[in-house]
Amino acid sequence: MTDFLVEIGKNDIAKKLIKSMGIPLSLPKDLKRDKMEWQEHPILDLPVIFGSIKGSDLTIPVAQSFARMGANTWVFQNEKIFQTFVNQGSPWGRTPEILDDKIIAKIKPHAIVFDATEINALDDLSLVHEFFHKLIPKLNNCGRAIILARKPMEIYDPIKAGAIHALEGFMRSMGREIGKNGSTTQLIYVDKGSENRLEPVLRFFMSYRSSYISGQSLHVTSKVITDNSPSFIRPIDGKVALVTGAARGIGAEISKSLSREGANVICMDLGGEGEHLSKLSDELCATPLICDITDKNSHNIILDFILKRFDGIDIIIHNAGITRDKTLAKMDKSLWDKTLDVNLISLVRINEALKPHIKKDGRIICMSSVTGIAGNIGQTNYSTSKAGIIGYVKALSLDLREKGVSVNAIAPGFIETQMTAKIPFMTREAARRLCNLSQGGLPYDVAELVTFLSSPGAYGITGEVIRVCGGSFIGA
Amino acid sequence: MNNVTKKSRAVIVGGVRTPFVKSFGVFMEMDTIALGATVVKELLKKYPIPWKEINSLVWGGVILPTGAAANIGREIVFDSGIPPTVDAITITRVCTSGLNAITLAAAAIERGEADVIIAGGSDSTSNTEVVMPKNLVYKAAPVVMSAKSTMKDYFQLLWSLNLPDDIIPKRPSIRERTTGELMGEAAEKMAIRNNITRIEQDKFALQSHKRAAKAIETGRFAKEVIPVDTPNGNRVYVDNIVRGDTTIEKLSKLSPAFSKNGTLTAGNSSSLTDGACAVLVMNEEKAKSLGFTPLAAFRSWSYGAVDPRDQLLIGPAFSMPDALIKAGMSLKDIDLIDVHEAFAAQVLSVIKMIGDDEFAKQRLNLEKAFGIINPEDINVHGGSIALGHPFAATGARMALTMANEFKISNKATALLGICGAGGVSAAAVLEAV
Repeated sequence: MTDFLVEIGKNDIAKKLIKSMGIPLSLPKDLKRDKMEWQEHPILDLPVIFGSIKGSDLTIPVAQSFARMGANTWVFQNEKIFQTFVNQGSPWGRTPEILDDKIIAKIKPHAIVFDATEINALDDLSLVHEFFHKLIPKLNNCGRAIILARKPMEIYDPIKAGAIHALEGFMRSMGREIGKNGSTTQLIYVDKGSENRLEPVLRFFMSYRSSYISGQSLHVTSKVITDNSPSFIRPIDGKVALVTGAARGIGAEISKSLSREGANVICMDLGGEGEHLSKLSDELCATPLICDITDKNSHNIILDFILKRFDGIDIIIHNAGITRDKTLAKMDKSLWDKTLDVNLISLVRINEALKPHIKKDGRIICMSSVTGIAGNIGQTNYSTSKAGIIGYVKALSLDLREKGVSVNAIAPGFIETQMTAKIPFMTREAARRLCNLSQGGLPYDVAELVTFLSSPGAYGITGEVIRVCGGSFIGA
Repeated sequence: MNNVTKKSRAVIVGGVRTPFVKSFGVFMEMDTIALGATVVKELLKKYPIPWKEINSLVWGGVILPTGAAANIGREIVFDSGIPPTVDAITITRVCTSGLNAITLAAAAIERGEADVIIAGGSDSTSNTEVVMPKNLVYKAAPVVMSAKSTMKDYFQLLWSLNLPDDIIPKRPSIRERTTGELMGEAAEKMAIRNNITRIEQDKFALQSHKRAAKAIETGRFAKEVIPVDTPNGNRVYVDNIVRGDTTIEKLSKLSPAFSKNGTLTAGNSSSLTDGACAVLVMNEEKAKSLGFTPLAAFRSWSYGAVDPRDQLLIGPAFSMPDALIKAGMSLKDIDLIDVHEAFAAQVLSVIKMIGDDEFAKQRLNLEKAFGIINPEDINVHGGSIALGHPFAATGARMALTMANEFKISNKATALLGICGAGGVSAAAVLEAV
């Protein structure tokens, strides 16, 4: 399950050897991943650069976030914005410096963040170019390039709409270029009035927990109605979380991650996985539950189990899924039915049954797939089920927003698991390399996003589909 | 000491301290216990109290003589000659230990558990256990500790040692266990992050030395400092780290101590020190009935901690406002401010933050700051930079000096703040009785 190119990349002698032999092989970077519990200062003492078109509603929240995250900030060119960062940073002992060419020559920033909220005209795009053109060569390995923008609910101004959407293309291409250094990029839209919901999102996407997520645009809104405030240490302490398909692979990693941050996890899987399940539950002090989701009575079994032991449920992670690959012509009814039943029909049945019992400020996260977005030969059944999830999640998010519940989908790309280890070598190699980061992701990468979306700080994100795909070349 | 149910205020009746001297100097032969016993004996000479009235001893210590005893307070009871039936505990909370010992005593008295407690702290940094190099221990211990070892084994042991690395002990230093950082390096970072300049630090260090020197010259410290006879026959009268003749020019010539382009020097940092301080804490009624005049009582105290990976010594910026809030007071109600001077950079960072409105808003959830504190408004008789810092004695020294100051200069209130290793902090509001 290890990626041999990443392994070679870790070895300096092998790297030199390959280079001196003139083999045209770019070795993927060994991505930095934060294995600790969530920290108050997730990017402690790391250098960060901030630039913007001009001051916006985001300036103060961003300045505060950087200081609280423990970053050392440099402000690009703008004196007034610099002053805001000084005021917001001083109570944290994090006063910024202004960025001049002398410093640019020396600095290796961990993250470069550009606030394009005030983009109004097509000419403003040149400011985006200037900032990233100067700074992207300086970005440290496994760095972060983030663009902040505002996506109006309805864009009346076609020119402005053009300028804003141009950022998507820019961000995706930039992601392709910096991926070889293990760096990632995202575009974060922040609604007016949702500025204070940005910090938790920045904390996640600027940390080493989002190492395999790149080229995503996501939307921070105030759709979820809540008076809850985020906590950054042990964020889901005491919350009750159900994880389906928990015995192995991604599900097991999700259970570990949720449990590490304080959740009481119910690890659910099939009877055949009993041994793995009990071992994992012992390790995590979690509650095992053996249940086949395709059992027509499974939703009642789960509900009874939860209500008997807990007073409701806070977090539901629909992770269980199968593949039964055949091209459409060869795909018989049983393969089709089985896949749709596990991946979509049972998921919806169980979720509808649990829905009334999800507590205020709860979280629902469904596992979709890049295949559900892009399609794939031999996976009509799988893609159908995974795309269905996306539609379900989007509508459900509107349904539950007034209860403070956020609902999101995660679409993993190529993740190194026992399932993908069975793919033939050449296909597997192609799948691994066809993304910005030229490598597969780890179950850890999916699990960390799940934990972030399960946390109170994810109150700005609902109805989104976030891909954990290393910036996959397909389905972008 | 039965049936004490009435609640009464705990008061500081008085106290004494040894001169504070440079470590590896005149007090070198006296360890933390010996310094403690000396100061307790002198306390009881100065405040003659029927020994049967003493309920217990609460002692602060940081450099504990390992192997000798863990509860050094108890050993101090034995060595100072007070009855062995007097109970004792030892509190170790790094640089705040001395103050912590006194507030523990006050808490016990105010809860009705005791009427008379000796509290204080001592430290001998000269007697830090020098750790034998690990390699030497691993190689030598099996041979030396085995009954079956022969001469041949000893020869083989000698042969196996890598000289000189295996046998020369490493110099002890104050490093944070979590970050591996020297305390001075942490303070150096704070100077940069809070924009504290070299000149500000040197000025503050100068003020500390000048004020401490004046307090010695004018006899102000004679109220609390007792002469100490050392085992090798010396009699030590006075603090020996204070440099009353130093100037801003001299201080500004010193080279950085912790980083090449740093601003912290030996001159604007506190140094390793040996010393002890003890105070007598009593129930107010009891003090009066025994014929003592109480000096001070606690309005409040506050202990806290910050993340050592961020700003190790910023804690008092949280604890001092918290103590004020608990006391229901504002900065205007405070006559004297005494802040432990681990480093000038740390003191200046702390008082800068206490005066910062954004700090109050973002980090203390207050509408605005309590008010500006100027460096010249604090530490009327200097602090740890000039006097030195025998870790667990410092907090007790500060409380004692402030308690005495109330009577001498007719002041009513004092705010204390102390930072410590591991990111801990302490603060207290004292009021005149």
